Amino acid sequence: MLPLSLLNAAQNKPMLVELKNGETFNGHLVNCDNFMNITLREVYQTNAEGDRFWKLKECYIRGSTIKYLRVPDPLLDAVKEEQKMARELGRSARGSHVSGSGNRGGRGAPQRGGRGGMVRGGPTRGGRGRGRGA
Amino acid sequence: MDSLIPFTTSGSLVDCVDRKMLVVLRDGRKLQGVLRSYDQFANLVLEDTVERIYHQDVFAELKRGLFLIRGENVVLLGEIDLDQEDDVPLRQVDWETLEPYHRQDVAAKKHREDIKAQVLFERKGFCKEGGEGDGY
Amino acid sequence: MADRGRGTFRGMRGGPASASRGRGPQPTMDKPKREAILDLSKYVQERIRVKFTGGREVTGVLKGFDQLLNLVLDEVEENIQTESGEHTRKLGLVVLRGPTITLLSPVDGWEEIANPFLAQDGA
Repeated sequence: MLPLSLLNAAQNKPMLVELKNGETFNGHLVNCDNFMNITLREVYQTNAEGDRFWKLKECYIRGSTIKYLRVPDPLLDAVKEEQKMARELGRSARGSHVSGSGNRGGRGAPQRGGRGGMVRGGPTRGGRGRGRGA
Repeated sequence: MDSLIPFTTSGSLVDCVDRKMLVVLRDGRKLQGVLRSYDQFANLVLEDTVERIYHQDVFAELKRGLFLIRGENVVLLGEIDLDQEDDVPLRQVDWETLEPYHRQDVAAKKHREDIKAQVLFERKGFCKEGGEGDGY
Repeated sequence: MADRGRGTFRGMRGGPASASRGRGPQPTMDKPKREAILDLSKYVQERIRVKFTGGREVTGVLKGFDQLLNLVLDEVEENIQTESGEHTRKLGLVVLRGPTITLLSPVDGWEEIANPFLAQDGA
């Protein structure tokens, strides 16, 4: 599951976006693209010093100015579950009729993504990593 | 197996997935969390993230949750040795207690860097830095 | 055939990629968003606030735009912040270069407020 798929799945979810210059934006994600450009609605903007605040109905933020985004914790599991469902759906659909070359381009991407974490599914050693640090 | 993976961002990070990692950002922030995913830009997904601040021989941390970090802001990414992390001779205190000290440290450092940059520019013929002032 | 290698992931701006959309990377969640995620037409004749890389900030009435986010604003005022305070200067009719724009929001519904996070903690 690639970072940008997580962002994609965060649509309509509340999030905090911090820009490289330290400004932060709290709002609900309306839309995003593969450059990490985002649009937010019902936004609370905070300046870098953290002492002034603004309310914005909506805003567009250029992806290249973002430092990080904080998204709701349950989102990660939700996306994993969703992708699992999508894969199973795709598998059963593909199994019924032989479609070989039709979606060659499409198959490459999810596999590559799997390398980045999704496919290894079970915590090989990662289980230890969780729950520490309290 | 390792030798088959070329030394690229993605090649280096595969082994870090599902591990507890330390991430240092350009702005100096230090985050610890479990790396769940990344992409070709080294954008990171960090789960159960805590932010840590340090002052002398004490530290404090604050739960921050799920992060999506834009790769270009990462200075350092390192695996935390779970067998050794508790041996670190630092004392943990409340965030609220330590935060003012940390803020002072940051301000003091910024002040020193400003003076240094000023001297380099005005008296030593160096150019001005990129503008973000974080030394990177 | 020639676009097979580069079509999949990024850097596809032109025709061949959009032609293959639909049967391309469908199984993934992240369908490539070629079309702009921001519909600027809804802001035409409306006053918007724009921030640039480097920190400059202007407001103006949107008159026109293109896909690259280049904008034409009229009645533009630059908002200048200095140590001694804030002031504005009038710039009139201006073309804003899209790639330097970092933030864009309508002036309508925009206001400075007191700290909204005091009740919660740290947000």
